[in-house]
Amino acid sequence: MNIYKPELMEVIEIIDETADTKTFKLRFKDPEIAKSFDFKAGQFGEYSVFGEGESTFCIASAPTRKDYIECSFKQVGKVTTALRRISIGDTIGFRGPYGNNFPVEEMKGKNVVFIAGGIGLAPVRCVIWNVLDLRDQFKDVTIVYGARSVADLVYKRELEEWKNMPGVKTVVTVDPGGEDENWKGEIGFVPAIVEKTAPKAENSVAIICGPPVMIKYTLPVLNKLGFKDENIITTLENRMKCGLGKCGRCNVGNVYVCKDGPVFTYDQMKKLPAEY
Amino acid sequence: MEEKIISYSNLVSLTGDLIKTGCMVICEDKNGTGWKRIENPDEIKINHKEIPSNISYKEFVFPKTEPVFYFKSKKEDYDLIEKNAQPGKIVFLGAKPCDSRSVEIMSKVFNWDYKDEFFNEKAERTIVIGTACNYKDEFCFCTTVNIDPASEKGSDLFLIPLDENTYALKIVTGKGKEFIQPYLKYLSDGNPAKSQEALAKIKGPDKKFEPSKVREWIGNNFEHKLFDNIGSTCVGCGQCAFACPVCHCFDIVDEECSYECGRRMKNWDACQFGLFTLHSSGHNPRENQNKRYRQRIAHKFKYYTDKFDEILCTGCGRCSRGCPVQIDIAQVAGEINLVANQV
Repeated sequence: MNIYKPELMEVIEIIDETADTKTFKLRFKDPEIAKSFDFKAGQFGEYSVFGEGESTFCIASAPTRKDYIECSFKQVGKVTTALRRISIGDTIGFRGPYGNNFPVEEMKGKNVVFIAGGIGLAPVRCVIWNVLDLRDQFKDVTIVYGARSVADLVYKRELEEWKNMPGVKTVVTVDPGGEDENWKGEIGFVPAIVEKTAPKAENSVAIICGPPVMIKYTLPVLNKLGFKDENIITTLENRMKCGLGKCGRCNVGNVYVCKDGPVFTYDQMKKLPAEY
Repeated sequence: MEEKIISYSNLVSLTGDLIKTGCMVICEDKNGTGWKRIENPDEIKINHKEIPSNISYKEFVFPKTEPVFYFKSKKEDYDLIEKNAQPGKIVFLGAKPCDSRSVEIMSKVFNWDYKDEFFNEKAERTIVIGTACNYKDEFCFCTTVNIDPASEKGSDLFLIPLDENTYALKIVTGKGKEFIQPYLKYLSDGNPAKSQEALAKIKGPDKKFEPSKVREWIGNNFEHKLFDNIGSTCVGCGQCAFACPVCHCFDIVDEECSYECGRRMKNWDACQFGLFTLHSSGHNPRENQNKRYRQRIAHKFKYYTDKFDEILCTGCGRCSRGCPVQIDIAQVAGEINLVANQV
């Protein structure tokens, strides 16, 4: 079997999230694969525009929702620029799912706290919907999401949906200066808003994803609130090419982020060489 | 282990037969730059007493650049086309012990979970006709990484030079035995006493460091000041990785062949390049040459051993011989060993 050969997917819906970020809804062209494809929350794929190359993004939709997958990407490089030019009905390549996953099974019966910054909401959103689709199997759900400005918030329609759901506490914040005249949410950086929201640590799991600086300052806050390192889970977003544990660029020490990760507990991350 | 004798002229005849039957016979080229497929049996070179070629023969199993599939656009759709692999044996003739284990060592990473058929398909077709090695220079350190220049390990068939025109031929593996079967006419009965005598004369290079010590120390001292300027003279050219028999990092890129056709390529890459780990956000986990060189040392002597129980180095010394700024990997590992001993 050729492990580098992607499956073909059709772009069936495109959502403009922000000025530079889009979400694609994708369906496998081969009906057999469309039927049998399965993945777990936290896994990722290699998305390709033929002639331009491959890029690595998480699968942003939830495994509880069948028949399609979604990915969200920000235009930053060659492949994402090419992806931006894609229209509904076009074909792209997909390899995956790769990597490990969030321990959704072990999270059952617990409170779940989601913390995300910027486009870091994409992998978290996958778990949020996974949890919300099986709502009665989890206790309290708290979502803290922040972006630089109102214009940089992704999945805006879903933020509203989560806000209106019973048993879900959704706090959305923008960095100081990023608010506009209609902004009704919080103003402040994510770590401060997490501290203010103060989700309880007992019988809880925190899932955190976002820019390194946000993660760096939020981890001590979570510790202060009583979260143990093994109950704080994040994803490492290292540069990847193969996704198969071969090409060598996502290594952190003897760990292949693409295979041994991308999901790590804070406890596990502390044991890695500080090179991520 | 069965042992035979083969003369140089019979080795040439054997090579001629192999070429005729469609084998790719890969030999060191005459001027020692690398390895090439020979078309004429007179071109064979069994290099057992000269400096190793500048680069290893890994490119015949793990090519510098290799298409993994072709794509052709048709309206909104694509055809993905795979080319069939070529049949026929790949015969590495005259591999020194520091080369002969390379495919076996790399095969661990290409198979630890997902199987890379591009590598495997070629690795399975490989026959290694190794040679005992009488060469050593200041850069050689095979013995340090547990490779014996007199050992047949890694070879299917193993040549032991007895004199200018005669070799003992050890039949090492079942694969080697099957391979040589049609050519027994070129072999005569062996004389193990004589080959033992020849092997006993081989004195490999002195050991330069203790790999297990280096491995252990790196694991506990990732932030040590020794790493602060370890790559300060490195120019990041990547020569070391490309010359290495076991470095295996690669890139995946698309190439356009025509307006509607293209191909996806797997190309050699190297951890010494600044762009290797650069994120699209601008963040780079290995942001300077010191971190990149630390990765090189640590991957070879710690990470790969942790994961696959192999040292990712055969002690051939090519990286050091070819380095434009005279970085000697054995010397660097030796320094680490010294610091480790002081603890």
